[in-house]
Amino acid sequence: MLIHKSISEYYTSKVKEFGCTPLGVDWTCVATQEMRFVQLLKLCDFGSPFTINDLGCGYGALAGFLNRWHGACRVDYLGVDLSKEMVRRARQLWRSIDGVRFAGGFRSPRVADYSVASGIFNVRLEEPNDRWSSFIRSTLHGLAATSNRGFAVNFVDRPPSGAWVPPGLYTTPPEPWIEYCSEHMGAEVELVKDYGMREFTLLVRHRHGR
Amino acid sequence: MGAIVDPHEIYFGTFFERFNMRFGPAMPDRPTAWHSGGIVEVTALQRQFEIFREGRPFLESAALLGLGGSFSSPAKDRWLEYLTRLPHMQSDQAGVNGDQRIVGALIANFGQDTPLPCFMRAYDGRTREPGLVVVTEENPLFYLESVVFLTISLPMRPVG
Repeated sequence: MLIHKSISEYYTSKVKEFGCTPLGVDWTCVATQEMRFVQLLKLCDFGSPFTINDLGCGYGALAGFLNRWHGACRVDYLGVDLSKEMVRRARQLWRSIDGVRFAGGFRSPRVADYSVASGIFNVRLEEPNDRWSSFIRSTLHGLAATSNRGFAVNFVDRPPSGAWVPPGLYTTPPEPWIEYCSEHMGAEVELVKDYGMREFTLLVRHRHGR
Repeated sequence: MGAIVDPHEIYFGTFFERFNMRFGPAMPDRPTAWHSGGIVEVTALQRQFEIFREGRPFLESAALLGLGGSFSSPAKDRWLEYLTRLPHMQSDQAGVNGDQRIVGALIANFGQDTPLPCFMRAYDGRTREPGLVVVTEENPLFYLESVVFLTISLPMRPVG
């Protein structure tokens, strides 16, 4: 799929330029990157071990975050990324942590309890909105199909009318995607916002598990 | 005492600007400022992660917020070197060094119900020997006359 190729090339160039740092996956800093993780992981029950897929994992920063902040809970982590270079670097970076693996691709090769995807819908490059929306829908279905309990994703919130938006940045109000996940996946959707950033997170839970 | 400024520091404005953007007024109703979460974003980050904390140098917290910039340059090297000297500088509070003064003021500000936006700037350190780190609440920007900032003034002085 051409869109996957473009995304892969974009993030490969980022990590080659900035290395395994937030800038290497197009975030401004460690703090904002981890603030997103905090919101996405509200989906998970850390009271017992679980498996998680991290789609668009980049260099696997979430694996390090889980290890640092939730080390008491046994988490089986699989990071998936379109960029082979990202996957190569992620494997190298986290090789010493048990329960952390990486795979290339646009969809997880396994079904896990949860899936998360941070920031993968934000940079639409030169794709028109309708094609990008189609990509989002297909990715959401992939996340739903590979998650037993549910998945979490984030988006950049739609700015006020007249605001300047960087070229290639996809923004959206939450409602369309809440409705989409609710109607097409029969899921319960929780909206998380007001965490200081111009973004929102959707926690999408399957109604009856799988 | 106080930091020495050499010609590279004409570029220090970049680092101040980075701080001032991240810690600036959030202005949620102003479309032109939409891209920056400003002080609201940084406050949320502080409350979640306690980025600024007693005993942690300002430089380390600034790094977590990506305030150093992305590219290496002589100006960046000297800026980082400057920040490492903060603990050895005096401040406008007796017995409190420059680093403690900044970190303490930021922590106190974040503890308020509505933290003030913050503004960082340089001033001629020779005017307040031996080059004090000064923190005030004032309005440093004439074009935002209704906005009070927690203003951090860093002493610098020319070579020679």
